[in-house]
Amino acid sequence: MPVTDKERISNYMVCAISHMLKDKEVVFHGVSSHIPMIGMMLARATHAKDLVHVNIPGGVNPSDVSKEDYSSAGNQIYKTSTASFPLQDVFDLSMRGRLDVAFLSGVQFDLEGNVNASVIGDYKKPKVRLPGGAGSAVLIPTAKKAILWRTKHDKRTFTEKVDFITTRGNVWRMVTPLCVFAFRNGRWELDTIHPTSSLEEVKENTGFPLYYDEIRYTKEPTKEELYLLKKIDPHLNRCLEF
Amino acid sequence: MDSKVMTMEQAVSLLKDGDMLAVGGNVLHRTPMAFIRQVVLSGKRGLHLVKTAGAQEVDMLCAGGNVEEVDAGFVSYETKYGLALHYRKEVESGRVKANEHACYTVISALRAAVCGSPFMPVRGLVISDLLKYNNYFDVVEDPFGSGPIAVVKALVPDVAVIHVQKCDRYGNAIIEGMKFEDVLMAKAAKKVIITTEELLNDRNYQITAERVTIPYFLVDAVVHAPRGAAPCSCYGKYEVDEASILEFKKLKKEEVFDYCKKYNAIKR
Repeated sequence: MPVTDKERISNYMVCAISHMLKDKEVVFHGVSSHIPMIGMMLARATHAKDLVHVNIPGGVNPSDVSKEDYSSAGNQIYKTSTASFPLQDVFDLSMRGRLDVAFLSGVQFDLEGNVNASVIGDYKKPKVRLPGGAGSAVLIPTAKKAILWRTKHDKRTFTEKVDFITTRGNVWRMVTPLCVFAFRNGRWELDTIHPTSSLEEVKENTGFPLYYDEIRYTKEPTKEELYLLKKIDPHLNRCLEF
Repeated sequence: MDSKVMTMEQAVSLLKDGDMLAVGGNVLHRTPMAFIRQVVLSGKRGLHLVKTAGAQEVDMLCAGGNVEEVDAGFVSYETKYGLALHYRKEVESGRVKANEHACYTVISALRAAVCGSPFMPVRGLVISDLLKYNNYFDVVEDPFGSGPIAVVKALVPDVAVIHVQKCDRYGNAIIEGMKFEDVLMAKAAKKVIITTEELLNDRNYQITAERVTIPYFLVDAVVHAPRGAAPCSCYGKYEVDEASILEFKKLKKEEVFDYCKKYNAIKR
């Protein structure tokens, strides 16, 4: 994918994520999580100035993530933060019901909201050993809302039935390069399609049936958002996952 | 008090075949890589690794044939570097057993060890297939009436190895910046090995209670290892050595031993 396309699609993804977050919410992202991290920074720079940004290194509300090209769990996040709140404290917070939003991902997702980040094939003798769900198995059921994202949208990723249920629970939104799903009525429903994609494309690349009441499109980023993204993420780390 | 300073080779010899080894740091940050490379060179076998989120250390020890089991929530390099392919291959071939955790269940299992409890309750987990396939998880009924709750079995590491910025010769260790799960590991483990960027000299450095992260009496060995986390980062000292990680990622399994030998031979 040429850089300009990647940038345009990742802009839809980070802006959509930013719009999902409300002011004063306590929001967590983990490792390899540039898209949510930048979406959170954008929310804090626009409508959610008092959002509480927590993360693995434990740096609350980092002011600068522009250099974190190799890592969304690295030193700069801690160095530019206002308080220390390490990972174990973030987990504990979620366990006692006080984490508003957790960003997580996986490799397979099915219609009923099951997430697989563990294995393809048999758990004991896997065809593919995946990296593992990290915090998913405890955070997705205990955070008030789990927002999932994945930069791959194909039938193997959005599948009829996951090979292994790493977890399910309070899944709320799913952001992909083609669209946004919302979890309603016990299933993923199509919420908005990015203007760079189409209903046909989403259908062709999704292994489960699409449910929707009307066709809506993801909002175009505003001029202000594009300007802020240049400041927050000058090196286009939001495109790293593509 | 006796000094606990020793060479890396001596420190690695505290680790026995089949030991459970908890490794400090997180993904590519403050991982005691110089120690890990020495473990590869030592030819230890059957190790059981414990880590919340691991990357090069797990990958390297799997390639080195030193590992039998890995208890971790996540094993992968970060976005840019891709997957831990040696780990993956060893697990898929059945040579290494992957005991998948949620990162928090590693923390809970270490907390159980810290307070001498056989297990720790963990909320949320009841939904996961991980409960079906792993004997270190179970579901019990809350005796106080709140219903079923998942539990995780304690993980009591034989050895924890932790890289720090500063340590004195008795083992009073100072971690600057993110501490990750390192203090828990130090308290949970039977033996603690500290590798340190700076070895503090008690004549010109006054160690104080406020600054010490891990107290000396928990520590068994201190190794002076400047750049001992490299190619991973060390807060306040150096960042991830990207070129080195990329070079390692290209290595075949049989090339890893020589890589470790060469890396540790260079004076840094």
